[in-house]
Order: sequence, then structure tokens, then C-alpha cells
Amino acid sequence: MITPRNALLLVGSAKKSESTSASLGSYLAERLQQYRLTVQTVHLHQVFRTATRTAALLEAVDRADLVILAFPLYVDTLPYLVTSALEQMAEHRRGLGETAQQLVAIANCGFPEAHHNDMALAICRRFAQEARFEWAGGLALGMGGAINGQPLAEAGGPARNAIAALDQAAEALATGHCVPEQAIKLMARPSIPHWLYLLFSNWGWRRQARRYGVHNRLKARPYQP
Amino acid sequence: MRATILDGSRKDDTTLNGVRQILAEELLAVGWEVQPFILHQIKIAYCLGCFECWTRTPGVCRIDDPARNITAAIIRSDLVVYLTPVTFGGYSSELKKALDRSIGLVSPFFASIDGEIHHQRRYARYPRLLGIGGLLHADAESERLFSGLVARNALNVHAPAYAAGTLIVTAGPDAIRATIRPLLRAVEVC
Repeated sequence: MITPRNALLLVGSAKKSESTSASLGSYLAERLQQYRLTVQTVHLHQVFRTATRTAALLEAVDRADLVILAFPLYVDTLPYLVTSALEQMAEHRRGLGETAQQLVAIANCGFPEAHHNDMALAICRRFAQEARFEWAGGLALGMGGAINGQPLAEAGGPARNAIAALDQAAEALATGHCVPEQAIKLMARPSIPHWLYLLFSNWGWRRQARRYGVHNRLKARPYQP
Repeated sequence: MRATILDGSRKDDTTLNGVRQILAEELLAVGWEVQPFILHQIKIAYCLGCFECWTRTPGVCRIDDPARNITAAIIRSDLVVYLTPVTFGGYSSELKKALDRSIGLVSPFFASIDGEIHHQRRYARYPRLLGIGGLLHADAESERLFSGLVARNALNVHAPAYAAGTLIVTAGPDAIRATIRPLLRAVEVC
């Protein structure tokens, strides 16, 4: 165990704005900076545009004492951008001996139950093992739509548990420890009732569709055999 | 009956070619039509996370590229096969890129299934799902993760039946057939 001096935040959302992954990752980064860590942030959607940026990412990973992976759940697991980044990182680090570098992952999904993220976090843990990182833990958030890409400090009640969980995680990670179990449980705890989240989510889809004038076609079957 | 094979091999990785060929032979032998997509050979963009396939052009991704054809092929199939090198226990990036682009096949609205929230169906019927993962060597943890991921996918894509298995890519044709046949039986192909 070493006390990290610097961290690299990798944001795995393809969204250019209103990314809940960025909200969660940025909050943890800010808290780590308060513990005097230097934090570099990389948005993976900007990385793969050029070979130079990809090489720079791999170098940044090599330099980091702590790598933070923040991503949305897509189809039960990591989105393409993150999967591709992990493949390249693992290839780059093949043959590397044991390192003291740590990896922590923060997954969020639109389902109310945080446990939908469990498979993705298990895959991150497996990646850590193959790419010679020390696994520092995984945090899973459900009801990501309630934060909807807002800075956590401005997201009100729906972000309450996430803020408390990330505060605890930052304190542990800043001293080289793993994310405490209490923080993992807190992050996964629903911050609003299921029924209310479902009500707002379903209303939100209809509202967006109405804006595009397609609210009567939401159940369309364009590829019906 | 129609099967769509999504081959998620990465560029320059030919280790699953033999598996894909044997799988196609087994399906053709029982009278199925087979449509393979070798994904790394098809230029498709990655999902932008915009959700417009749910809210603006329901069921169709806003990006007009061959991923639309792949999505259409999936829903018009009786069986979809995810063939992929097992990557940290999950799917390769090539397969994941295609799957991320297919979320318009379900509805944005939520429903409770066995006490857990999932997306509602968009279509009346969905294909069965078979996941086949290639490994360089036996690895119980990767096998467990891979099977678990296919099971979660089957739930979320409303597959009426599913099966998952892994095989060693360097195995001979007989060993590959011996792995594939029970999986095909499990998804009621034969």
C-alpha cells in the first residue's frame, strides 16, 4: 500500500455534456484534490480520435498512482468506449510485474436498483487483475437519471447518498486504502422511493418524445419482421 | 428459422474463425438460415448515449450506418449468437459496440420482471440468445462472469431461451463441436 500522490479520472460516458459519470467522477476528484492529490481528467470519447491521444492516455495511466474509472452501464456491462480503453490498457501493460497502482470504479445505471451494475464492476475487477492494478473497490449507483448529469452539489436529495459515499471513498483512497464497505452500501442505497423514480422516469421519456412530436409513436416497431 | 451470428473478434484475431464456421455448419445442417456479421470488418460508430432511439426516432438509431442493419437482423432472427473472445470475463469491444447500438429494440419504459426493474418490450417476440466465448486457456472465473453476463442480457433483451458457454480456441474441431451441440440444444435449435 502506498499513499497516492496523483490520480487519473477516466470518464467513460459518450455524452459531451450532462453526464452522470462525469458528475460522480468529478466530485470524487475534487474531494481527492482536497487531500492534496493531483488529479488529471480524461474523457474517453475524446481519446480515440487520434493515435497521439491514445498514446498519451496510456502514458497517463502508467504515471497514475490511482486510476478512477467512472462510466454508465450499457446493456448490462461496460460501454464500448470503456471496453475498448481497457483492452488497450491491458495490452499496453502486458508483461508488467506487480505494481502498487490502484484502480477504483464507479458505475451508474438508469435502473432503480444499483445491483444491475454488479456484473460491470466484476469485469472491472477482473481487468484490474489482468492489467496488474490493485483493486481498490467498486461503487454502484442506481437511479442515475435522478442526477442526470448535474454537479452533485446542485442535484439535491437524489445525490445525497452518493455525496456521502464518495466523501468516505475519498478519505480512504487518499491514504492508499480500499473503498470502505460502508461507502459501497451508501452509494447503492436508493435516495428516493422506487415508485417516485419510476413515475418521473416514464414521464420524462414521454416529455422528451413530445418535444420531438413523436409521443404517439413511442412504441413503434420499425424492424417488425 | 434464422440465426444471426455476431462475431466480435478483434481485428487480426482469427482464433474464432473456426468456431464460427463450425457453428454455421451445425445450424445449416438442421435447416437454419445463417447470417454472420464479422463486426470488425463493418464500420459502425459507437453509441452516443443520446437516447434518441427511444425519444426522437423510436426504435431507430439516429446514426445512419450498418449498425441499423445489424439491429434489424437481430430482431428478425429466431436465434442470435454472441461469439466473442472473453474479455475480462465479458464481451470484446467489437461486440459491445454493436450491442450498445441496438438498445432501440426495447422500450424506454420500465417494467417489473420477477421483482426487478427492466425495460419493457418493444416487439412482441425476441430471438433466443446464445453466448459463446473464446478463451486461450481454461479460466473458471472468466467462464463464470461470461455466463453471468449472458444471463443478465437474456433478461434485459427478453430472450425466450438462452445458453452460454466458453471453449478453448485452440481446441480441435471435434472438441468445438462437442461444446457447441449441447448449447444449441439448450436454445432448442435441435
